[in-house]
Amino acid sequence: MAEQIRRVTGTILRAPLTRRTVRELQYCALSGLAGVAGFAVTMVLLVSGVTVTGSVVGTVVGLLLLTLALRLSRRLAALHRRLAGWLLGERVEAPPNFQPGSGILGRLDKRLRDRTAWRAVSYSLVKLPVAAVQLYCLMATLIGVVDVTYPVDWLLFRHHAGGSLHPLMAPNPVSFGAKLEIYSWPGTFLVALLGALGVVAGTWLARGVNAGDRRLIRGLLGPSRVSELERTRTLAVDDAAAALRRVERDLHDGAQMRLAALAMNLGMAREKLDDADEATVRELIDAAQRNAVDALADLRDLARGIHPPALDLGLPSALATLATSSAIPATVTADIPARPAPAIESIAYFCAAELIANATKHSYANHIKINIYTERSGVLRLEVTDDGVGGADAARGSGLAGLAQRVSTVDGRLDVSSPPGGPTMVRVELPLKA
Amino acid sequence: MRVVIAEDAALLREGLTRLLEDRGHAVVAAVNDGEGLLAAVAEHKPDVAVVDIRMPPTHTDEGLRAALELRRSFPGVGVLMFSQYIETSYSAQLLEGGAAGVGYLLKDRVANVAEFAAALERVAGGGTALDPEVVSQLFRASRQRGGLTTLTPRERQVLALMAEGRSNAGIAAELVISGGAVEKHVASIFTKLGLPPDDNDNRRVLAVLRYLGSPALRAAG
Repeated sequence: MAEQIRRVTGTILRAPLTRRTVRELQYCALSGLAGVAGFAVTMVLLVSGVTVTGSVVGTVVGLLLLTLALRLSRRLAALHRRLAGWLLGERVEAPPNFQPGSGILGRLDKRLRDRTAWRAVSYSLVKLPVAAVQLYCLMATLIGVVDVTYPVDWLLFRHHAGGSLHPLMAPNPVSFGAKLEIYSWPGTFLVALLGALGVVAGTWLARGVNAGDRRLIRGLLGPSRVSELERTRTLAVDDAAAALRRVERDLHDGAQMRLAALAMNLGMAREKLDDADEATVRELIDAAQRNAVDALADLRDLARGIHPPALDLGLPSALATLATSSAIPATVTADIPARPAPAIESIAYFCAAELIANATKHSYANHIKINIYTERSGVLRLEVTDDGVGGADAARGSGLAGLAQRVSTVDGRLDVSSPPGGPTMVRVELPLKA
Repeated sequence: MRVVIAEDAALLREGLTRLLEDRGHAVVAAVNDGEGLLAAVAEHKPDVAVVDIRMPPTHTDEGLRAALELRRSFPGVGVLMFSQYIETSYSAQLLEGGAAGVGYLLKDRVANVAEFAAALERVAGGGTALDPEVVSQLFRASRQRGGLTTLTPRERQVLALMAEGRSNAGIAAELVISGGAVEKHVASIFTKLGLPPDDNDNRRVLAVLRYLGSPALRAAG
């Protein structure tokens, strides 16, 4: 316990001396100034733009001011993203570039409806209080640093010998506005101590406010919902095309090939009938029969891969069927009072099938548990757990990454928990309606 | 007849080998990709190669590309494309350099062993064997341009069989008419198309194909 307290205290006190702190403070300075300036300019342009547009004569000028504000906001957003990336290591993807319309009115229309720019404007507005705190942190820390040097200053300059000293104190809620006056060299150590406190408090506050700023940047300056939808739509379309190609390939290499072989066997057998070569005829017909049976099996697998018939009865029975065919013993618990949309059922089913196949291939597990249930909030949850060796990684395993992509096309999520040594648990969260 | 087979499905490769050897032909090599095909042809100088279109590594049209390369490098070797699909663009590319020693059959045709073997022998001998599917595709394309309107239905039937590479006797047997009647139809077709009659089967096919007017064929010599 004591050891723990010492460690935490050490971390708190040493924090101001780390490289990270320097960067956080640099960020406070640059981003804070940019924030204040950005707020001022954006507000001036917006307010004047709106008021001028309202008056009869100034519409054109007003609209120009508005579009200027929006363009500037996009630029400012880029600056803030870059600062956050450079100094805080917060890499936020840039939203898609502005797509200008055609014609003057078209351009204007596109500009005024530019969601990305309006989100950037809202960031500029919210940023003002954040920037104020950031600049305050910087000031408090700098003043603290100056205060820490007082004992040395006193000795070097003695400019207050016999007199008194009013040390600079950052405004803070603790001192209630009390003024400090120092009359002797030992007294300066109190100032230094207070300064050190100011440095520690300032740097930690900076970390806190910067963490908040990062959230704002992620939420307001990253890709919007629309561009996210566009991305997942592309994934969905690609997924569908790939699925069709797979079906075609499976037909070509499977059933079609076997039926061609079957036709060949029968053709040869027919020729042999004329030679009355009974043994060969029998052999060829056997081969033909084998090919027919194999072609049927291929077609059955393919059909099941397109739409598992068991799914018509609902997820619980489809998953139960799936579990009985699993190589590793698997149990299913299901609690789905209302049926999800067919597309969601299909995705959940294929996720379960893929996860069971993954576990069979990689986990060396003795048992797999499949749990599927709906939550009142309209969410379908699928959990596939195995007691195997763990170490599954969504980033590396292409199968898991593919599943995550497929799930994301309907705004679902896939989380993997698989520490080395196991157990592995994959949670899939899907909306009930696609 | 010495044959090289290029087919990636082992089942069909072995079946074809057996089928041809049963009929007394020598399968000198059976390979499973385009590169193997070119190497085998260079080594064995066969009479004819049976080539699947979709083969490793990309499973798209490597068989066709290998076949075109064969036509350039080994003009004396007949090439029979053997596929589950008939693609008009594939037929056009294949026939671009002329129809001599070229065939393009659906894999289904192997069900009739005798006809399949006859087609392969025709290709090996410098003739042509086009799948009825290929011919009807070319017909459709031609009809859309209004090219076949002057022919009677019977003449169109005869033209289709000519396009497949059949001889007059073969056409007579297929349509159950006399050889003289076939000759009359053929002469009439050539007159209507303004082509001098010729008793060489291959020149007939070339003429037919050129009339059917695949753009690639019109450019070909």
